[in-house]
Amino acid sequence: MGSRNAVLLHKTGPQVADEIRACIGCNECLLACPALSEPITIDVLNRETLAGPISAPVARYARACFQCGACVAPCPVGLHRDAMMMWLKVRLLRSGMEE
Amino acid sequence: MAPNNWQDSARGEAGYAWLSMHGWHGWFGRLLLTLFVLALGIGVFLWYSRTSNDISPDSIAGYAYAVIGTLFAVMAGIAYGRRRRATKKRAIGQLNASLQWHMCLAVLALVFLCLHSFGNFNPRSGTYALYGMIALAISGFIGRFLDRLMPRLIAGEVSKALTAQGDDRIESISQRLQAIVVHNTAELRGFDSSNTPSSNKSLVPVKSGAALPFADAGQSLQTPWDLAYISLEATPQELSRDGVQYRFVPDKKSELARPGALMPGAQEHISELQEVQQAMQREHFYRYVIRYWRRFHVLLALTTLGLTIWHLVYAAQLLIPVFLHK
Repeated sequence: MGSRNAVLLHKTGPQVADEIRACIGCNECLLACPALSEPITIDVLNRETLAGPISAPVARYARACFQCGACVAPCPVGLHRDAMMMWLKVRLLRSGMEE
Repeated sequence: MAPNNWQDSARGEAGYAWLSMHGWHGWFGRLLLTLFVLALGIGVFLWYSRTSNDISPDSIAGYAYAVIGTLFAVMAGIAYGRRRRATKKRAIGQLNASLQWHMCLAVLALVFLCLHSFGNFNPRSGTYALYGMIALAISGFIGRFLDRLMPRLIAGEVSKALTAQGDDRIESISQRLQAIVVHNTAELRGFDSSNTPSSNKSLVPVKSGAALPFADAGQSLQTPWDLAYISLEATPQELSRDGVQYRFVPDKKSELARPGALMPGAQEHISELQEVQQAMQREHFYRYVIRYWRRFHVLLALTTLGLTIWHLVYAAQLLIPVFLHK
C-alpha cells in the first residue's frame, strides 16, 4: 500500500495549532464537507477548534463529522481539517467526561 | 504554543454522545417528501392490484414502476457523485443535502423496484438485481451507522493517546522513562568502586549520633585495626548479612529481587506505553473500517449496476421482438 493510500492517524494539539495558524481561510474544506449541514464560518471554526468555549453549531458539526477525509484533498495549502475536527471531538469528549 | 487544554471549553457545548443525531438539519422536509412519494407509489400499487387483471412486471404499471425506480436509482447514484465533484456553484451544506437526497432516492428506488416485481421473482437477472439493490441500501444504512459510531470510538482512542495538553502521550511517557533510566544510572554510578577512594562517602553508613571517639567535627577518621580489642560493639567494617547495604548481588531476600526493582517506576510506564500503542492500533482499525466500508458500498453499487444492466438486456430481449411484430 502506497503512502497516498495510508490511513493517517490523529495529530497532536501543537500540530493542530500549527495547521490552524497556516489556514488561509479559503473555505474549500467546508465546501467539500458532506457532514456540514448549517453555515459555519471558517474563522469561528478555527478559533473554537484551538481553544475556548465551543458554540452549539460548531459542536454539532464536530459530532457530525465522520472523518471521511473529503476536506483534505481540496485544501490549497495541504492542511488536514479532519485532524483538526478530531481534536475538536476530543475536546468535546473530555469536557463531557469532566461534567 | 500548544492550544489550551480541553478544560476551557466548560462554558460552551460539552460532551460527545454515542450515535449523536446532530447534523440532520433539513432532514425532516426530505423525509416527509420521501414518505409522501412512497405512500403514493404503494397507494397506486394497491389500487392497480385490485382493479387490473394484468399484475405482472411487464404490465403497464410494472414498466412504470421499473422506469421510475431506475430513475430514482440513477438520480441517487449520479446526483451525489456530481455534487461531490462540482467546482462551481457550491455552497456550505449543499453536499450534506445531496447526501440526504442520495439516501431518500435510494430508498424510493428500492421500494419502486420491489413494486415493479409484483411478487414475481422468476427471472434470475431481475431477482439478482433486486438482491443487489437491497444489499446496497442495507450497506448504505450500516455505513451511516458506522459514520456515527466509528468517529466516536476514534475520539476515545485519540483521547487516550494524547495528554491533557494535547501532546503525544508516547513521547511524554518515553521522556519519563528516559528520566528514570538517567536517574537509576546515576544511582548505580554511586556504587562504582572507582569513585569511592576519592569520595568521603563510605558504603557502610556511619551513624551520626554514635560518634566515635576519634571522629571530630563530623569527619570520620579511619578506624584503627585494633578497635575490636577495646570495644565489644560491632565495628563499622562489619557488615550484617541482613542489612540492605550488604546485598549488592540480588538474592531471594533482596529488595532487588522484586520485579522492576532495578528500574523503579519503569514497569508502570511501560504498561502505560503499551496501552497507548494498543489505543493507536484500535484507532487505525476504526479508520480502516470507515474507509473500506465506503469502498465496499461503491463495489456493491457497481455490482448492482451490472446486475441491473443484465436484467435490462434480458428485458430488452423479450420486449424488442414484441414491439417489432406489432
